[in-house]
Amino acid sequence: MRIVSGGMTDLGRVRTNNEDCFRIVEPLNLFVLSDGMGGEAHGEVASELAVETIVKFCMDPQADAGGALLSNPEPSWSEKTRRLTSAVHLANKNIYEAAEAHPEQHGMGATLTAAWIDGSRLSIAHVGDSRAYLLRGGTLQQLTSDHSLVAEQVRRGILTAAEAEESEMQSVLLRALGALPEIEIDAEEHTLFARDILMLCCDGLTRMVTEPEIAGTLQAEPDPTRAAEKLIALANERGGVDNITVIIVRVGSESRGWFSWLRRGARKKAAGNGTAGGL
Amino acid sequence: MAKLSLMFDEKTVKEVPVGSRPVSIGRSPDNDLPVDNLAVSNYHARVYFEGGRLVVEDLDSLNGTFVNDLRVERATLHDGDSIWIGKHHIKVDASGDAPVPWDTGRKASAPRINETMVLDTKARRDMLQQAAASGERMQFASGRLKVPTLVVLGGRTDQKEYMITNKLTVIGKSAMATVKLKGWFKPAMAAQINQRDDGYYIGPGDKMPLVNGKPITGPVRLNDGDVIEVGGARMNFVYRE
Repeated sequence: MRIVSGGMTDLGRVRTNNEDCFRIVEPLNLFVLSDGMGGEAHGEVASELAVETIVKFCMDPQADAGGALLSNPEPSWSEKTRRLTSAVHLANKNIYEAAEAHPEQHGMGATLTAAWIDGSRLSIAHVGDSRAYLLRGGTLQQLTSDHSLVAEQVRRGILTAAEAEESEMQSVLLRALGALPEIEIDAEEHTLFARDILMLCCDGLTRMVTEPEIAGTLQAEPDPTRAAEKLIALANERGGVDNITVIIVRVGSESRGWFSWLRRGARKKAAGNGTAGGL
Repeated sequence: MAKLSLMFDEKTVKEVPVGSRPVSIGRSPDNDLPVDNLAVSNYHARVYFEGGRLVVEDLDSLNGTFVNDLRVERATLHDGDSIWIGKHHIKVDASGDAPVPWDTGRKASAPRINETMVLDTKARRDMLQQAAASGERMQFASGRLKVPTLVVLGGRTDQKEYMITNKLTVIGKSAMATVKLKGWFKPAMAAQINQRDDGYYIGPGDKMPLVNGKPITGPVRLNDGDVIEVGGARMNFVYRE
């Protein structure tokens, strides 16, 4: 699979510091996004620690990949999924311990949404209310579930989706890295197809921009970095109440196909834009 | 109260409020919002409140309903959205919002929380219980687990029956598709079935699938017994116990 990716982060219009952190590791096709929390500058510390820990762990071939950090690894998981999930456990531990060691950092935490693409296999690990979306055949599908109080209330039928959007409790999370010494992580695997578009983003985007708008932007703008810029601009137009971070990953086709010359003109244009803007 | 304004050439042609009754839009003059244009179907679309959300639903119109340039079957509307029908567009003013029967007393007592915070296990249990006690709309899962299944009625596929166990299921010729279509000139990814919180949705891939004989353009929720036709295969979507 040919992968083209890009990402952006923005302060937004209201906050004075950016507590989001993201990383694209192109050679590994690893994408990590984290939204930190905890007053002063500690949210930044937490999200950066999360991203650093995960990237370092996934890049280190010597790091525990067998899953000794996992209490109950799913037997069907690939090595990448196990490694990514182990990395998230380690990140949780590191943030928790840092907060314990430094009283002023007590209460810091972070969301974490990470994607690792190996061939056509996509591994996702997720904690918190950042999101991973897949746009396939014009349909935008949220891959992750928000670990927030309002999302849980919607799942239980206590709130409707509209009431959740209006709720003042939107920022209350049920799970985040660094809150407890042990954490439950959502991990899953999917098969990717040519022309799939994966997007990771924090709630600073999804609270300001609707899903049809996200789908429309991803379809209209072939360059991942420019699409991320456009989505951020839209979130800022609407008020930009929080930091906004977006990672976009486009999956190209492996083979050209027998009749690809028919569409070559259009493809060439799209591919050219993609490589120029990718990070 | 929410309001729809029919626009043509940047001029407001007509305004209608959206109350508890759906607003019908179409070429026929008996619609709440008649749009006189040949590209518009007699009964083209309707807009209504559902659980506090303002929703637009296309009524199988010939030329489709678009929300902010995206063709939709059904979509939640937000303040400032535009619904496009033919050359006309309808501005959505949802600022007044719905007749939502929501406990305002509780809302007022909840502190405004701007900073993200995490609940510890106990606080989270208490909060959910409290919410459940006052929310009343708690839904309980039915006793038995029902597995969504595709039963092949016709066409060439690699199996006669498929249990849908993944969040994302692809129907197509691709070696990686869950439901593999066989034969010449089949699309690699003909259609997809995705799991969401409230059920399973079928969406187009390279082909526009038919559900119960009708073509679908966007994600459509599958009901027990629906018949799907795509890439020469006919399948029955059923929930098995």
